[in-house]
Amino acid sequence: MTRFQSEPLDLPADRTDVQRADLVFYGVDHSGPTYEARIFLDNARANVDTPLTADERYAGSFTVFGHGGCFGGDDHCAPRDRYSDEFDRRPPHPLTPQTVAVTITDALERIQGEQVKVHVVIVLPEGMEKLSGSTAVAACERVRLATYA
Amino acid sequence: MSTGTPIAQQPAAPVRFRRNADRLTEGQLQTLRNAFQAVYEIDDDRGYGYFAGIHGLPLPISCENAHGTPYFLPWHRAYLYFFERALRDRDPNAGLVWWDWRVDSDRQPSLPNPYAKAKADGKANPLYSAKVTKLALEQGRRGGMQIGATTKREPGSPPELPSRDEVNEVLERKQFTDFSGALEGLHGRVHGWVGGHMGVIPFAAFDPVFWAHHTMIDRIWRLWQLRHPGALPPASLLDEALPPFRMTVRQTLSVSALGYDYAFATASSEVTVRR
Repeated sequence: MTRFQSEPLDLPADRTDVQRADLVFYGVDHSGPTYEARIFLDNARANVDTPLTADERYAGSFTVFGHGGCFGGDDHCAPRDRYSDEFDRRPPHPLTPQTVAVTITDALERIQGEQVKVHVVIVLPEGMEKLSGSTAVAACERVRLATYA
Repeated sequence: MSTGTPIAQQPAAPVRFRRNADRLTEGQLQTLRNAFQAVYEIDDDRGYGYFAGIHGLPLPISCENAHGTPYFLPWHRAYLYFFERALRDRDPNAGLVWWDWRVDSDRQPSLPNPYAKAKADGKANPLYSAKVTKLALEQGRRGGMQIGATTKREPGSPPELPSRDEVNEVLERKQFTDFSGALEGLHGRVHGWVGGHMGVIPFAAFDPVFWAHHTMIDRIWRLWQLRHPGALPPASLLDEALPPFRMTVRQTLSVSALGYDYAFATASSEVTVRR
């Protein structure tokens, strides 16, 4: 099982006007298997068996439709294997990490205190080990909490 | 022209020059050989077999709508562009070169020197021949073509290479479709003169000299554009795609926007500030 967590994220001092809250995950890996990323707030014990309930501070999830591994030669799926310049008209490397946003307004309302930690549990669909050339999921690069009044 | 088309976010960057194959410095030639060797060694969609196969076998034969049609020049310009990017992924200094195949009373027909010898520096010359992919060979044999697994040439058989005068006559044509059709005719004679794999569409692009030949064709189109500013392919074609390339006819019209131009030869150096 893969899990990753953020550093503590500061919460707005006054949240009475907050209408919506999003978690934005940058650099999300989609090179390996298809997976679900389950998001918990301030729950370091969360794992694949943790109920998806408010009591467990479950905040939502997103699913990545994975590339399934690398089927080419060395570095075939490595974005760094390209030389690019201002005249490069090719689309971005297909495995350039993605950005994913998840709205967590209700879950954030239940959090007390001045900071929150984001815990993400990676869950592979049943049988994915046989279907995918790789079951490794790299952690995303950065998480941002954005609140809107 | 020595800079690319400027965009709002940045000043115009210097374009690369495609050079005459017979005027390369030893270092430029070595870079070219190394880049070809590097793409030969990759057997996925970054490698030589993939790019050569786009033109012909294995199926689909993507150039089928690019011969005998006004797509001939734009499609091949896009093709060269994306292959050159693949070379540059292996060596950022690599670029395509052109084979000036024109003959006249002072110039006998010949292959460009870097492509003509089987050995270079005591090793197999990557510009002399290349391997054909297994699936392309299988499909070719299914269609009755008995062709070798390594590219070969039989230069010198009829037809004759185009002359300088013939190229000049083509450059005088004012309408794009008229010009394109006439140039494509000269182009086909070069394929026929080289012979071997170069002589048939399904396998022509596996021969490394294919790229130097088509870079010459692209250069002639560039020279024609300079002589006939404003002359364009038919308007109805400008926004058509050039499959499998992510490029339209319109996007092929400016070589400076694609980051290159043509030079007979180039030399450059760092500069030192003197006070």
